[in-house]
Amino acid sequence: MRFIASDGLPRLLERLREDGAEVWAPRVVRDTLNTVLFSPWSEGDEIETGAYSTLSAKQLVLPATERLFAYRYRLTAEGEKIEIEAAGPGMHAGETVVFGARACDAKALGVLDALFLSTPGQSYNDPHYRTRRAGLTVITLACTTCDSACFCSSFGAGPAETAGSDLILYPVGGGYLAEGFSDRGRELAALDIFEDSSQEKPALAETAVLELAGLEQKLLDIFDDLDFWRGATEQCLSCGYCTYACPTCHCFNIFDEMQGDRDGERCRSWDACMFYTYTLETSGHNPRPEIAHRYRNRMGHKFSYYPANQGEILCTGCGRCIRGCPAGVDIREVLKAAAARPATPGGALQQETES
Amino acid sequence: MSTIPKKGINATTPLVPEPATVVAVIQETPAIRTYRLVFDDPALMAAFMFAPGQIGLISIFGAGESTFAISSPPSQKDYIQFSVMRTGAVTSAIHELAEGDRVALRAPLGCAFPVDSWKEKDVIIAGGGIGMAPLRSLLMHLLDNRGDFGRIQAFYGARTPADLCYAEDRAAWEARADVDFIAAIDAAHPDWSGRVGLLPGVLEEEQPPAAGAVAVICGPPVMIKFTLQSLERLGFGDQQIFTTLERRMKCGIGLCGRCNVGPKYVCTDGPVFTLDELRRLPAEL
Repeated sequence: MRFIASDGLPRLLERLREDGAEVWAPRVVRDTLNTVLFSPWSEGDEIETGAYSTLSAKQLVLPATERLFAYRYRLTAEGEKIEIEAAGPGMHAGETVVFGARACDAKALGVLDALFLSTPGQSYNDPHYRTRRAGLTVITLACTTCDSACFCSSFGAGPAETAGSDLILYPVGGGYLAEGFSDRGRELAALDIFEDSSQEKPALAETAVLELAGLEQKLLDIFDDLDFWRGATEQCLSCGYCTYACPTCHCFNIFDEMQGDRDGERCRSWDACMFYTYTLETSGHNPRPEIAHRYRNRMGHKFSYYPANQGEILCTGCGRCIRGCPAGVDIREVLKAAAARPATPGGALQQETES
Repeated sequence: MSTIPKKGINATTPLVPEPATVVAVIQETPAIRTYRLVFDDPALMAAFMFAPGQIGLISIFGAGESTFAISSPPSQKDYIQFSVMRTGAVTSAIHELAEGDRVALRAPLGCAFPVDSWKEKDVIIAGGGIGMAPLRSLLMHLLDNRGDFGRIQAFYGARTPADLCYAEDRAAWEARADVDFIAAIDAAHPDWSGRVGLLPGVLEEEQPPAAGAVAVICGPPVMIKFTLQSLERLGFGDQQIFTTLERRMKCGIGLCGRCNVGPKYVCTDGPVFTLDELRRLPAEL
């Protein structure tokens, strides 16, 4: 194993910066609210290695808002024409290092890759995402403790998850043991800022484990049980916080920002499936008019549809939606209640087809 | 569904539309206008390929981008046609367009009617209102390849004579011996000498045989509901019935997340579905 002393971390990050990388790290940005966000780091900036970040690191691959292209009306010899100029990935397009991601954050990137790097049935995927992802190095801080909202152990290896991480740092006395899980990670661990060590890896946190067997089908089985979904969302304000805080939620809106009378930019931004207008059609028809319908779709997407389509659960158990929900909605309670339903042989939808 | 080459979409920047120009505007009904568009890039226009049932997204910059069925047939190489009902912000902006105006277009997207698997079969087409748009593309494509199919019966219903689109096409279809085309309006009207009655009833009266046939229906939800019942009474099975779904869409390429019905995305898995496929999906239409 390799070892890096605590005071070696800034030197490592500074070296990465000197090599031309943008470095992002969790930093306390609002002391009184104890808000920790992944933020641009430069020498001298304090890094928060204890508290979890309030928002995930997904903005480094899916910025909250980004330009898709600019459009301009130009008078030419053939009359007025529209010129369209693709924007390119812009933000985080080069080498980017995120330090201090947790196992749940790193795993989330792999979960997003399953969609954004491979769109089933299509010959293209998302070019901005692809560029940013290719240039992203993830240095993960292993969790030796967890809080009461963590439930990552419900999904695969939990705190011991290595998917999505290039380099994982394990806290030990005086610094961190370092282990690379990609060529890039191994290359970093070989730097002279690290030294060889015979120390043992620390024991990692053990989070709550939810029993979720059969959930993919059970959520389909209870699709028509509106009482279940209305009960689950009785307190929900439909504010969308959970979708923005989630490391795997990725729905986006597309809209035009005018610049002057006619020219402008087409942009995309994070959207939230919990909003009434998300699926509202021009005719006034809305397939998901109630909060219960929208939450049902959110849960279905995460634990049934995305697993069926992309082979990954769209949740890594980071607990952010639980910590931050202003109304106290706890996704674990809903998951437990759904998983506790008896399994229906063949599934309710299948039965309906056969009847 | 059939796999259709996705030409026309810029593979490196799939959310970026291509500039296009309105070459014709046709006032179909008080609320519906047809727009014929041509990509400004001649190479793109020459390479444009699609199949009936596929969709395009028209951009009116500042207003936004909306999804419409392509209503011209693949054999029409001079333009790409869309019929647009004035309903909201983008469709109202489209209704302001005149010949020569510039727009932008992303097309084709989505999956087409699997016409290749319909060879030798009878085809029954039933369109209601603006739902006739993708079916115009389909019907013209079937007639372009007339020898490949059995009997073709096409039904087109609207509320009043003034609500029927495609007057020239209707006259041509009515004149042809190799397609049984029936336009019907809901109630008797002084300007109408043709068939009167709700489309499901008209279809049922004609009694198309279900054996070796497929039925394609597209229209408002209430029309779909009762036409399905008619088809069931005529003995059509769920796998013989095709329809197209509409959902609010943004990206059109299965990423932005909003047009799903359960695990299926209308933009990439649809918009064409069999009734059998729809019955397997969660009931969230």
